Amino acid sequence: MNLTISRGEFVAVFGANGAGKSTLCYLLSGMIPNIYGGRRRGRVEVCGIDPWDHPINEIAQRCCMVLQDPEAQLFMPSLEMELAFGPANLGVPREEIMRRVEEALEVVGLKGLNRRNTNALSGGQKQRAALASVLTILPDLLVLDEPTSQLDPLGTKEVLEAIRNVREGHQVSILMTTHKTEEVMGLVDRCMVLKEGRVVALGPPEEVLSQVDLLEEAGVQPPTTARVFSAVSPWLPRGEALRPEADPDRAAGSLRRLLGAGALRLVPREVPESPGADAVGEPILQVQEVTFSYPGTPPVTALKEVSLDIRQGEFVGLIGQNGSGKSTLVKALVGLLRPQRGRILFKGEDLSRLSVGNIATRVGLVLQNPDYQLFSISAEREIAFGLENIGLAPERREERIHEVLEMVGLEHVRETFPFKLSFGDRRKLAVAAVLALGPEVLIMDEPTTAQDYRGRYLLAELAQRLRERDDRTIIMISHDMDLIARYADRLVVMYEGRVLLDGPTREVFREAEALRKTFLAPPTATQLAAGLASEGMPADLLTVDELLARLEKGGH
Amino acid sequence: MQTIFSYIDRDTFVHRLHPVTKLGHVLLTLIIILIPYGPTLESALALSVWLAFSAVLWGIAGISLRQFWSLFKILLATFVFLILIQGFMYRGGEPLLVLGHLPISGGADLGVVTDAGLLFGLLLCVRVLVAVSALPLFISTTTISRVMAALNSMGVPNRFTFMFVSSLSFTNLIFEMWNSIIEAQKLRAFDIESMPLWQRARRAYVPVIVPLILLLFRKGNDLEVALKSRAFGSTHRPTQVEVLEVTWRDHLMVAVMLGVFGLCLWIRLFWK
Repeated sequence: MNLTISRGEFVAVFGANGAGKSTLCYLLSGMIPNIYGGRRRGRVEVCGIDPWDHPINEIAQRCCMVLQDPEAQLFMPSLEMELAFGPANLGVPREEIMRRVEEALEVVGLKGLNRRNTNALSGGQKQRAALASVLTILPDLLVLDEPTSQLDPLGTKEVLEAIRNVREGHQVSILMTTHKTEEVMGLVDRCMVLKEGRVVALGPPEEVLSQVDLLEEAGVQPPTTARVFSAVSPWLPRGEALRPEADPDRAAGSLRRLLGAGALRLVPREVPESPGADAVGEPILQVQEVTFSYPGTPPVTALKEVSLDIRQGEFVGLIGQNGSGKSTLVKALVGLLRPQRGRILFKGEDLSRLSVGNIATRVGLVLQNPDYQLFSISAEREIAFGLENIGLAPERREERIHEVLEMVGLEHVRETFPFKLSFGDRRKLAVAAVLALGPEVLIMDEPTTAQDYRGRYLLAELAQRLRERDDRTIIMISHDMDLIARYADRLVVMYEGRVLLDGPTREVFREAEALRKTFLAPPTATQLAAGLASEGMPADLLTVDELLARLEKGGH
Repeated sequence: MQTIFSYIDRDTFVHRLHPVTKLGHVLLTLIIILIPYGPTLESALALSVWLAFSAVLWGIAGISLRQFWSLFKILLATFVFLILIQGFMYRGGEPLLVLGHLPISGGADLGVVTDAGLLFGLLLCVRVLVAVSALPLFISTTTISRVMAALNSMGVPNRFTFMFVSSLSFTNLIFEMWNSIIEAQKLRAFDIESMPLWQRARRAYVPVIVPLILLLFRKGNDLEVALKSRAFGSTHRPTQVEVLEVTWRDHLMVAVMLGVFGLCLWIRLFWK
């Protein structure tokens, strides 16, 4: 690999999991070889020193690193102490430290929260605090390793805004690894794409991100506008080229201009019916005026008289910001939380009379992090564990283990130690362990977390197959609107403990104003279609394919 | 959730005291409860005076009675046990209740409850209450950063104070992880909380402890990266960010504390 970053430059690094993004971060920040071992050929120089030859605390004065998990980076009791930690270790005078703390808090938008306990911050605030905690060292190079991968859309927006402010206020160079091509497009100077440890593209964002095939091959999600522009570019007059845009309105403007000039033409086509419109199954889960408050002074009411019917065979997307009540609702559905008011019925049976274990044979929940569950010596033992707990006869266990492992495509690793599996396979194993209990409703909590472009659709595809094969009901919590648009036929939007919107996916995404209130935005393809509504494009399209099916080469 | 062991953010006389002054209160409390007490009125009075003094400090610090009540509730079963056991086991005093006769070596009769036994049991309860009332007062009114600064000012090396603080935040993390893992295993019909004790001991903790250990290794690794990335362990002398000052409040508090302490000693030793 060859890479030079200039002072003040911002470089984004894309690549599938395992492409070498984190290794690059560790090499620059001196974590390799100071913490992680390895061998190196070639030369690395960071701000005039070779990280290989210097202790890490010396490198930290020039290059600091921020990790993906905000929880793991904050360890001091207050925000102020957290930010002061770095410069205090370097013996910076107290007055100077306090000046830097104030400045860093302002840059990341946390001014006034000096005394706040870091545990009391939201996910986005924690990651901004982690960023501010290295800013106070005044490094020349900031290395950010997927700083937004564990955040909701609001948290992501806040962190990217903070990074933008850092750029404006400081002459600091930034290298950031990420999977979110769309979100960083308007922010960075250069993009680099890694594939199997090699640089396959390096250049200005509009140039790199317009290479749709190259990105797909490297396991990187091309921006929606790049996909649309790449598909229509063969129809454009010679010399006319479209560059991917971060702003859907501007991208729609470019398409409007081409439609107006006759280079493109709209194809009149009916909008397909919402996939959920024909879902006529009987209600399988009924949530009736459920209220739940967490104890505290004062108590926090997370669900406020929520009522909802989920029908057999539906694929429901449950969306909303962190703290909107999604997780509480799901925990109530599986019996981990018992509502203070209201009832939850499964096929008419009141769930409050059943234990969590009994509910698990009816409603299964797959958690975000499989590592909270896996402990056995092999994949098959992991599945057998749940079957023993529900008292399934030993002679039937083997058959069930085989069935679910085959269902998730892990039959070939049935004797492998779970922690030797990749993260994606561990998630599949967690799904298999839940499926083995035979639930008719499967709930998936944020199946895209910490996944790359290819991995993020893995579990959703699996859920879709289960639904088609066994008529299982699927409820999926996700912040990924593209994923939701692609799979869910019904959307439930939670906001401040209530159901704000509930209806077919297409209809809900039409409510852009209401969604904005919850800091959610429809998929970029929907926003593009809305921007072309004045030209006759249906405004409620959900995917790039639907959009492209309505465009063709014009007469000029 | 607010617990008796969490910091309460207020600006009171007690909050503003130097942490070392508050540690002085904890130390004097320890001395008070370690003095030998017999089942006498003066013992009860001496302990009650110190308990009342601590209660006044709780009041000044703005800690609600509900917190004190929570503490009392936690200890209630222990108190009942102490009173009963001393009532039956204490040698001496007048019989209050005779259930039969079961003499044991040393002169005690397990079938007889004596007045001196009950009073001694009650005194033990007050001693426990005095002991546990001091530490929550310190923790509820002192931020961790001030505790760190106080430890540093007492000459404790920075590395140790940091270990103390990070172990506190790691304890929270372990609790959170523990609960998440228990919830996650419940979803596979494994409910550790509703198992009989013998079953828990036999097999229950493996599905909880194994993921916990593996996750902690990972978190520990991340923490190391985060620490090193912020120059922890650098050769520079670390700057003390939190400034602690001894003020008139501390002088006043030390004077009052010593006065009340002296009074308690005098009651215990000389008052008839």
